[in-house]
Amino acid sequence: MTTAAVEHGHGHGDGPDHDDGHEEVIYQETRDMRLLGFVLFLCSDVVLFSAFIFAYLYLRGTIDEWPPILNGHQLPRLDLPFAEFNSIVLFGSGVTMHHALENWKHGKVGRFDFFMGFTIVLGVMFLCGQGYEYSHAAIGGWSGSIFGASFFTLTGMHGFHVFCGVAYLAILWWQTKKGHYDQTHYFGLTAGTLYWHFVDVIWVALFFLFYIF
Amino acid sequence: MAVAAPTTTPTIPRPVLDHIHPEPTGFIRKYIFSIDHKIIAFQYFITAGLFFIIAGLLAEMIRIDLLKHTGVLTPNVYNQVYSVHGSMMVWLVIIPFVSGAFGNFVMPLQIGARDVAFPWLNLAAFWMFPPAGLILLASFAFGAPDAGWTEYPPISLQAPFGTSMWCIAIFLIGISSTLTGINFLVTIFKMRAPGMTFTRMPLFVWASAATAGLNMVATTALAAALLALFLERQFGVPFYNPTKGGSPILWQHMFWFYSHPAVYIMILPAFGIISEVLPTFSRKPIFGYKMIAFSSVAIALLGFMVWAHHMFTSGMAPWLQLPFMIITMLIAIPTGIKIFSWMATLWGGSIEFSAACLFALGFLITFTLGGVTGFFLAAVPADLHEHGTYFVVGHIHYVLYGGSVFGIYAGLYYWWPKMTGRMMNERLGQWHAWITFVAFNCTFLPMHWLGLLGMPRRVAMYDPEFEGWNIVVSVCSFFLAASTLLIMGNMLWSFKNGKKAGPNPWGARTLEWMISSPPPYYNFKTVPAVLAAPYDFGNPLPYIGLDAEPGAMEATPQSTTGLVHAH
Repeated sequence: MTTAAVEHGHGHGDGPDHDDGHEEVIYQETRDMRLLGFVLFLCSDVVLFSAFIFAYLYLRGTIDEWPPILNGHQLPRLDLPFAEFNSIVLFGSGVTMHHALENWKHGKVGRFDFFMGFTIVLGVMFLCGQGYEYSHAAIGGWSGSIFGASFFTLTGMHGFHVFCGVAYLAILWWQTKKGHYDQTHYFGLTAGTLYWHFVDVIWVALFFLFYIF
Repeated sequence: MAVAAPTTTPTIPRPVLDHIHPEPTGFIRKYIFSIDHKIIAFQYFITAGLFFIIAGLLAEMIRIDLLKHTGVLTPNVYNQVYSVHGSMMVWLVIIPFVSGAFGNFVMPLQIGARDVAFPWLNLAAFWMFPPAGLILLASFAFGAPDAGWTEYPPISLQAPFGTSMWCIAIFLIGISSTLTGINFLVTIFKMRAPGMTFTRMPLFVWASAATAGLNMVATTALAAALLALFLERQFGVPFYNPTKGGSPILWQHMFWFYSHPAVYIMILPAFGIISEVLPTFSRKPIFGYKMIAFSSVAIALLGFMVWAHHMFTSGMAPWLQLPFMIITMLIAIPTGIKIFSWMATLWGGSIEFSAACLFALGFLITFTLGGVTGFFLAAVPADLHEHGTYFVVGHIHYVLYGGSVFGIYAGLYYWWPKMTGRMMNERLGQWHAWITFVAFNCTFLPMHWLGLLGMPRRVAMYDPEFEGWNIVVSVCSFFLAASTLLIMGNMLWSFKNGKKAGPNPWGARTLEWMISSPPPYYNFKTVPAVLAAPYDFGNPLPYIGLDAEPGAMEATPQSTTGLVHAH
């Protein structure tokens, strides 16, 4: 069989049917596919957290009193005021991320840089706050009881996601400097924003389940 | 060519569909780290095939042990052998075969796509699979997992390091499944040929979509269960250990929340294969297209609500038993819809008893038997008697061997000419089908009786009264294993002596048969527009703008089996 008729190469304007409009349609369709794929990835990530949340609630349901008793003493509850402060830091970073994306869409690169940097700083602040909380939570450590197991595993997984998110945003920021995106082609920034909001939403659930419930 | 009046405008520009990557030329990029879905499918076939041989040999070690009621192996080795046999067959053989191999090869061709949505992700997903298998096999050197493929704590918490390697291996293959699921869903949603609405998709694509959804959602739950088990084993983090406040039942919930959907991950693609093979070889439109398609989705959804029927004897809350029993029994409805639709497809057809068709017919019988025994096990009072006996072993082999593996064989005989461009020896294939069918039933049917008499599973020694039937089962299992040599020999034979297949040796009507065998790198010279579902035998093909391979579009095929004379 001959392949001559179908070999267009990679399609960088090397044929009459590869004009700008064609490239644009390819971009749009590819973006739609990537967006769907990314959302599906987030869905499967939700299941990962849900499974551990189920485990936490199940284990919590096996004992009468919460927090559990370790070595004859009932463990204390977690430090709510500090967690509230740290939550505000994380939710604030969601707001700044939203502003970063909106400013990018409107071509205000200076303000985009400001908000992007702000988001990353807040993300790092949240991680530091979590480190502080880990060192002060007197709940018997990771392997002490089902409280420690659930708390450190779930918030640790969330912290790992925040850490990846900070790295991801830093890479995206660097990519904007390298000219990967323009005012209408910014799929990476959309994905980064979605991911960052996802991390926020997971924290809402964890905050309620560990500090309020 | 003559086609029915178009019902949609066929010439929607689809630049992504029309876009063609340049074909790689280097050996490594072409055959080792290829991003071509067909090559990746071959890699899955070869790797899963090798693991199938290893896991099959482990099964024969089990049967050798059970030849004598005092056992032949030491109980310790026996526990490791059946645990690794089960784990390999589920995660390294059947799931990669049905999703990785058949899904990758057939699904993009059937929807008229040039590749999957994210070829690089496909490549990455494949290359997690061989290391996972090697890690699991290497665990024999460190004390292999010995609590069965389900690895219930607290036994799995006390086992040596091999069980942690089991966690890593299954975690890896789980990520691979999740990525493949995401990839396939995006492919099916976004890359269908113009005019191919959901209800015009081939039924294998429907099955692949339902499976991909299960892979994407359920497998991450397994990842969580495995992560917790790994953390508890390596760092003492209490999730499952009752002495530290954990709960072994929690593992069973988390494990079966994945592993019950996993049985549908293993069987739904086989349903899809049967739905392609039966209409082609009975030369009739599929009966109840929409019912078969929607019942796949119904099974996938219901599959998430039944996991605790594995745990009736585990001491879970008694009030939960009734709802889980009822929902489990409800799954018999969509499954029954499929079985009856396939029977109605056969009814009045001019059936060509090719090897693929024989396996599909065998599937109908053995899978139905497995479904019926599943109904027994779903009923709480019966399950209390049958749980943990050979009845369960018989049941799972009827649905996984008589279901999934028979479906895989049917698919192999069916698509082999498309994959390689050559025909297998049809006579030998039919011998393979018959010998496998007989040996299979002689091997696994007596297990039901042994189970009802009370022979427990997963024990190296047993009561002397069961020895007679166990010898029968073991001897038949040797024939069953030997029958596998027939298809391996047939494949090798076909490479050297097989007749050139031509584009469409079976006279099938789905899109993959409209192009040359094996398909070119870019699959389709032009992506056609689709006017209807593909199963209307007797009517012109529903494709517009298809640059078909000469000879592909003849409505009546030349019989390749020499068995069809009723024209």
